[in-house]
Amino acid sequence: MADLRINLAGIESPNPFWLASAPPTNTGYQVQRAFEAGWGGAVWKTLGDPILNVSSRFAAVNFNGQRVAGFNNIELITDRPLEVNLQEIYETKKRFPNHTIIASLMVEPRQEKWHEIVKRVEDVGVDGLELNFGCPHGMAERGMGSASGQVPELVEKQTFWVKEVAKTPVIVKLTPNITDITVTAEAAVAGGADAISMINTINSLAGVDLDSWNTVPNVAGKGAHGGYCGPAVKPIALNMVAECARSPHINVPISGIGGISNWRDAAEFMLMGSSCVQICTAAMHHGFGIVEDMIDGLSNYLDEKGLASVMDLVGRSVQRYSSWGDLDLNYKVVAQINNDVCINCNKCHIACEDTSHQCIDLYTESGRPMLKVREDDCVGCNLCSIVCPVDGAITMVEKKGLSPMTWNERQALMGQYASTTILK
Amino acid sequence: MSAYEEAVLEMKNIDSLLSQGYDIAHVYENLSGMFVELKKDEERENVQLLTADARKYLSIKLREQAADN
Ligand SMILES: Cc1cc2nc3c(=O)[nH]c(=O)nc-3n(C[C@H](O)[C@H](O)[C@H](O)COP(=O)(O)O)c2cc1C
Repeated sequence: MADLRINLAGIESPNPFWLASAPPTNTGYQVQRAFEAGWGGAVWKTLGDPILNVSSRFAAVNFNGQRVAGFNNIELITDRPLEVNLQEIYETKKRFPNHTIIASLMVEPRQEKWHEIVKRVEDVGVDGLELNFGCPHGMAERGMGSASGQVPELVEKQTFWVKEVAKTPVIVKLTPNITDITVTAEAAVAGGADAISMINTINSLAGVDLDSWNTVPNVAGKGAHGGYCGPAVKPIALNMVAECARSPHINVPISGIGGISNWRDAAEFMLMGSSCVQICTAAMHHGFGIVEDMIDGLSNYLDEKGLASVMDLVGRSVQRYSSWGDLDLNYKVVAQINNDVCINCNKCHIACEDTSHQCIDLYTESGRPMLKVREDDCVGCNLCSIVCPVDGAITMVEKKGLSPMTWNERQALMGQYASTTILK
Repeated sequence: MSAYEEAVLEMKNIDSLLSQGYDIAHVYENLSGMFVELKKDEERENVQLLTADARKYLSIKLREQAADN
């Protein structure tokens, strides 16, 4: 059986599955139950300056029968006294010395504030710190969370202040509410971060009630933007992790967060450079028990792949993630339809005819309706195979094309033969 | 005519000029496509390529020519 232990910037954990800082890690009772269930680590619900929460905090986006495809919240950081949290962290760590407890922190961007809270949480024996520069609502209006996480100088400065006094590794949790996350990731590294984590939630409004015209959720008839997470955000989070992992300027380990719901998602994040993963929405939807399947699934996968340690998975796909300009312009795939499996719903024909390249022909053979792709006109967009409801009915197959040439290579070549005037 | 057939016509035209001994002298791209100037001694031929596939093809021919020179 593969070794599931991980090491993130010196922080060791029995497995890569951590609960993200959120309601599941609000109390010692919950975190201890999570550890009993099998979670390797927990990032405690963010500690910091006193806040007050509103009632009616969450909303979900259901899509085509799937409940909680996306999850929206307007909850702030912990509203419990620091002393209570510290006592529970101490007790939990004492009971579970080999499990990982990270203290998530958020205070005003002032040096003395950061120094004070870092010393107090480290005194109770946490394994590391996570600086929450990500919450998009409530705290941001007070200059914290994503408000400071969106300003690279503030990310760097606050990380630096923490590093001045921290004895344990410092993870900087980044907000996705920014155009290019590598900029703030680099700022965290410049400030001395030992690791980065991403993503926090994405600015969102879950919906508008068509009867009352209130926002969803609403607080006494008023709404405010919240933070979006859950399965819907996974591709956004995965790209942000991958962009940081492949940046030559960001050489610290990554803890991946965002829409991870099962071991497969976790493995994808690890292949793209995450040394561990953090999970919130899936645990809120299905309970702590989901970690069992995650451990089994990942473990079996590693065995199948012949990998002795889960750390051998980390970053293995990063080199395959490139820039568009480095893709081969002449690589060609085309769609092939298996008429034996096809149910003639014609969704591929409609999609191609209406919204792609009009290369799927309808015809009849011995009175039977058939579909055929005109391969020369197929651009390999994949749309038909995406909309097809039957597995195996449409396959995208590779075709021999021209010899490989990327856009960047082409433009360099064109530059040598460039004419600055329009030729007639 | 399908997009592919349009591209084939443009590629054939390029092939025909190259087989007559023309070399690609200059290329230029703008909103109207790719403009290619080919020359053989003092003779000049100008071709406008409209299709994406032919523009890719021309790039490959350009690389072959650059490698030969
Ligand atoms: C209700 C709720 C409260 C959250 N509170 C915090 C918090 O206090 N601190 C923090 O860093 N992130 C907080 N988050 C963000 C999560 O830690 C995580 O980054 C985000 O939900 C994405 O992961 P997921 O898709 O697995 O839910 C919260 C998320 C939710 C849903």
